[in-house]
Amino acid sequence: MTQIVKSKIDQACRVAEEFTKLYYETSDKRRHLMSKLYLDSGLLAWNGNGINGNERIQKFFIDLPTSDHIINTLDAQPVLDSAVNGQLTFMIQVSGTVRYQDRVPKSFQQNFIITAQGDKWKIVSDCFRLQEPLTNNDTKS
Amino acid sequence: MSKGGKFNKPTWKSQYSEHDFRGGGDTRKVIFKTNKHKKDNRDWVSAGRSYLQDEDIDMGGSSGGGRYSKKFYKRDKKRGTPPPNHKRRLMEGPMSWFRVTLPFGNKYEKSFVLKTLLDKIQPLPLWPITWKVNGHVVTFFVDDFKVAEKLNDLDRQIQMPDGFKLLVKVHNGIPNVDVNEDLKEKIKLTMAKRYNAPNKALDLTKFHADPDLQDVFCALFKPVVFLTVVEIIAENIPEIEAINLFDNKIANLSFLKKVKEKLPHLKILHIGNNKFRDISMLDPFIGLPIVDIVLNGNPLCSKYKDQEAYIGEVRKRFPKVMKLDGIDLPPPISFDISEEVHLPPNLQTFLVSQDGESIVRQFLEQYFTIFDSENRQPLLQAYHESALMSMTMSYPYGQRDKSGSWLNWYTTDNRNIMKVQDPERRQRLLKQGHVAVVQFLQEMPQTKHDIHSFTVDLVIFTPQMIVLTVTGMYKELKTGHKVPPTRSFFRTLVIVPAGTGFCISNETLHVTNATEDQAKNLFKIVVPAVPAAAPSAPALDDSTKQQMIGAMSEQSGMNIEWSRRCLEETQWDYTRAVGAFTDAQKQGLIPPEAFVK
Repeated sequence: MTQIVKSKIDQACRVAEEFTKLYYETSDKRRHLMSKLYLDSGLLAWNGNGINGNERIQKFFIDLPTSDHIINTLDAQPVLDSAVNGQLTFMIQVSGTVRYQDRVPKSFQQNFIITAQGDKWKIVSDCFRLQEPLTNNDTKS
Repeated sequence: MSKGGKFNKPTWKSQYSEHDFRGGGDTRKVIFKTNKHKKDNRDWVSAGRSYLQDEDIDMGGSSGGGRYSKKFYKRDKKRGTPPPNHKRRLMEGPMSWFRVTLPFGNKYEKSFVLKTLLDKIQPLPLWPITWKVNGHVVTFFVDDFKVAEKLNDLDRQIQMPDGFKLLVKVHNGIPNVDVNEDLKEKIKLTMAKRYNAPNKALDLTKFHADPDLQDVFCALFKPVVFLTVVEIIAENIPEIEAINLFDNKIANLSFLKKVKEKLPHLKILHIGNNKFRDISMLDPFIGLPIVDIVLNGNPLCSKYKDQEAYIGEVRKRFPKVMKLDGIDLPPPISFDISEEVHLPPNLQTFLVSQDGESIVRQFLEQYFTIFDSENRQPLLQAYHESALMSMTMSYPYGQRDKSGSWLNWYTTDNRNIMKVQDPERRQRLLKQGHVAVVQFLQEMPQTKHDIHSFTVDLVIFTPQMIVLTVTGMYKELKTGHKVPPTRSFFRTLVIVPAGTGFCISNETLHVTNATEDQAKNLFKIVVPAVPAAAPSAPALDDSTKQQMIGAMSEQSGMNIEWSRRCLEETQWDYTRAVGAFTDAQKQGLIPPEAFVK
């Protein structure tokens, strides 16, 4: 039993390394392919804006300003069987900086739940948050 | 005024001792300079040069200065021998700053000297800057060539009450300036006085001549002064939209960095009557949303053959300029695809299902109450017995060591698999089982979370599994820091049902320092978007919501999408939504696209 967990942990780390490389390359350079990374019913929560379904997610990405992501940290673990009924599922945690157009880079953090669908990894949920103040009205006089 | 004694013996080290004929006694005869001049006129030049070199001319930030002075000497040589008693002619020089020395000025009252000089030079004004006294010697600086020339002409022309003629020596020169905390405070107060808050406009015209800055040398062409001013703006009035820098003798701004970050909203830049020789000197301002610029009175303006070329060069750098030197320009012809693409707004809460709201709220409230308490052991109940948990840490962008606190505590358990390659270590850094997890949480520094800083994203909500991400800030307590550090966290929980309640099966935690912008709001948010303790609004069905959106749109003029957002963010409390809209609109926070239907 522990041996199974152990190999799953190793696998989660390896998959996470490949996944993030592909994910950020696609979102920075090949956005028209973003939908392929998500389940049909995948969900993106981008800075609190929820987008349902891979087609709408792709449209959302295309409407974003051009981006350039740099990853600083990566972490991954297998989701317990009791949550996913044995369906192979990983949780991936990323932090880094992103520059939109020529703006000043910002720190971001992001979490993915990815699952094996046939022989492809697909995103179930993708939660992205820029590290910034909640309200921008702190300059009120 | 002791005239005797002290001056009986010439002190040759002293710069002005040769003029010390008033000391009485034998030194009267010494007329050092005149003799020298008679001997060799070239010495006159070299004497002048060495004198100028003694001056604390600041070469930094005015690279043109050196070259210019050389020319000036050459020209002097060509002009040939000045007659022995001929007055030294003053040149304007590149910076047009002059040091005035009154070798015996301190024998008289300052106000008397000032009044005497002023009477002689009027109608010109006199703003003596950094009046300094050293023994009998008074020095000060003036920034006007005409004034300097006039003062130069007054040498030995004014009969003082004690019978002596006032010596007035004028040379090109710039004092050094050292910006310390006191001076910075002074500059800040002067800027505050010159800032028009409603218009977000700062008037720094002829800054060094401000009556409050006369005793110090606070000229904006000095890089250190200009940078201090920019720093004060960034710290205190980052919202600034207009700045007037007329008449500051600025020639160069190449030392400016990151202006785009520090003055991101600057639209109006009036920088006329300075010394910019080329428009490329303004390149540090590229990227600012400048719409109105005044360059009149700079040498660069005379470089262009026609107005078109001039406008072209300005627009190349500041494409949004609609007004140049006070004249409205025709709008530039542009493309239909706008260059700037906006980011979607930052919303505090996303719930994939409204049904999850109360469960999530309760769970988080309980969890963080225990987490912030002295003892985290009760959290054992909150974790699945095989729970997995891991942590990563990093510093936010641009913050390495200077502004934030070290995150040393978190480095030991930082499971950043980009750095941790060894599979064994990857295994070990993943806390496995609820005992190991809670033991780790127990060891973490004591915290106080600011619930109003929280964002919540509920991304999966099914009977088998809940996934949510919480971000926010906490203060770290009792860790020996002088000031409790403010950390920012991003925490994702996978939650499964357990018995009658829920427990966490997986958790990832990312810890970083709060940015300065974030930390400003810590424990300060007045209107929490998630009314943590407020009675929850009754659950509304979709058709009621649609009606509310319609009403909101009608009342506010916003489109359906923005009306819905506004209601969502105020938890479908219609009165609050209208209030929030009114407030936001007053502050100009609602973008025009919100009203596009």
